[in-house]
Amino acid sequence: MTDTADNIIIATDVEKYYNNGALHALKTVNTRVKRGEVVVIVGPSGSGKSTFLRTLNQLETIESGTIVIDGMDMYARGTNINKLRENVGMVFQSFNLFPHKTALENVMLAPLKVAKRQLAEVTEHARELMYKVGLADRMDNYPSQLSGGQMQRVAIARALAMRPDIMLFDEPTSALDPEMVGEVLDVMKSLAAEGMTMVVVTHEMGFAREVADRVLFMEEGALLVDASPDVFFDSPPHPRLKQFLSKIL
Amino acid sequence: MFIGIVFSLGYSVYLASQKIEYNWRWERVVPYIINTDDQEITAPGDGTVEVDELNHKLTLMIEGESTPFIVADYTELQVSDGDLIFEGDTLATLEQWQIGPLIEGLIVTIEISVYSLIIALVLGLVIGLMRISANPALRNMAILYIEVIRGTPLLVQIFIMYFFIGTVMDLERFTAGVIALSVFTGAYVAEIIRSGIQSIPVGQMEAARSLGMSYPKAMVYIILPQAFKRTLPPMAGQFINLIKDSSLVSVISITDLTKAGREVVSGSFAPFEVWFTVALLYLVLTSALSWAIQRLEKRLSASD
Repeated sequence: MTDTADNIIIATDVEKYYNNGALHALKTVNTRVKRGEVVVIVGPSGSGKSTFLRTLNQLETIESGTIVIDGMDMYARGTNINKLRENVGMVFQSFNLFPHKTALENVMLAPLKVAKRQLAEVTEHARELMYKVGLADRMDNYPSQLSGGQMQRVAIARALAMRPDIMLFDEPTSALDPEMVGEVLDVMKSLAAEGMTMVVVTHEMGFAREVADRVLFMEEGALLVDASPDVFFDSPPHPRLKQFLSKIL
Repeated sequence: MFIGIVFSLGYSVYLASQKIEYNWRWERVVPYIINTDDQEITAPGDGTVEVDELNHKLTLMIEGESTPFIVADYTELQVSDGDLIFEGDTLATLEQWQIGPLIEGLIVTIEISVYSLIIALVLGLVIGLMRISANPALRNMAILYIEVIRGTPLLVQIFIMYFFIGTVMDLERFTAGVIALSVFTGAYVAEIIRSGIQSIPVGQMEAARSLGMSYPKAMVYIILPQAFKRTLPPMAGQFINLIKDSSLVSVISITDLTKAGREVVSGSFAPFEVWFTVALLYLVLTSALSWAIQRLEKRLSASD
């Protein structure tokens, strides 16, 4: 039981196939994430890193293995997946803001309709979050009137509005113009500094080195390296990782 | 340019109508739209008249009946106090405009269209959601419904609905007509809604679900509002078709605009004028709907 007290995410022997078994997407992936830890997953495209991230809130189902989030076994009978997801915020590469709602409405929707909190409380919290991501003057804009970086910051605020214990980031800066990457990473850094548990799939090696507690390397569905940023970047413990780093750095 | 072409087309229609020997008498159509003639109030039975000029009231004591026939609303009396009256005699006249049979038909057409539109929308939404359901039984039922309805003529469906299902379930002709039209339009609406939902990026559903929303909640708050906006133009076309298709229910003797037109033609001997009028009335209906949907589209485009 100390396991679930310390480790907010426990993934054990996770197997995932695509196309009726033709593609082995996740090969016996095992990992644990402690409360307050920031874990960055890197790897070449098609390595399964995004797929693994998406299994953590069951946007992807798995064929075998177990995933326990904050003491809740995701695949146990009687687990309410919607309840579990309320505790796991997610930020997408393509933002996926709701285009028919203003920025503030995007942030307020889930607390109102899912958590059924009071309007006054939700409005206040949503405004606070918009301040926090630096978009106090953009609350009443529709997503189509915002830049990519602004949209992604609204998306972060939207995920935070449910007061989750875990935040998942799926390549949050990959769809952004280079000059907007910084503003999103700054928000993520401040979030990490506040002690949020974060799992981040990204190509931003600078962010990984600076913010991460641990960095994971995945290739062809297998988790090959799990190390501290210093070890990961300065003395790569796996030849495949060495090759990968030499290509991108 | 456009106006010029329309005018020359109109002029050639005029020339063509001059060639055939036909006397255009538009004034004959008017009483069938709005009847401005004085209405005659006739006696329902034999009896004696009592006129109370002060209270503007006419009472007819009918022989053999205990309750008198009272006329309170009239413009000009045709009888005087104490007159002996026989059944069918004119008691008084009333100057009041009455709607003619064409307008009555138009109202029936509007009623049928509005009921069918609402039912078709609900039916189409349910079938459309079934069509994209993960449950194969629901999905196949929806596909079967859509294929059967789209693969058979509406006229045949109306006959089947009225003569077979209507007889079995003891439906009135109006109900049968509305159901046939709703079922027919519902199949098309279902396909429009399905394509609308499927045109929304998958990421929208994922984002909604990742926030803890259930599938129905995500549909109601995220997917359907966006899909609704995208389906408005094809939906407008479908509902305009519905108004026009409603003319087919005249075959089961519902006195809609088309049937009223047919009846008026045999009464007025002015077929050309009447059919042009009927066409114009349909056009007014469809353009009103078209305009309303365009307004709605404009209002919903605020977030674009």
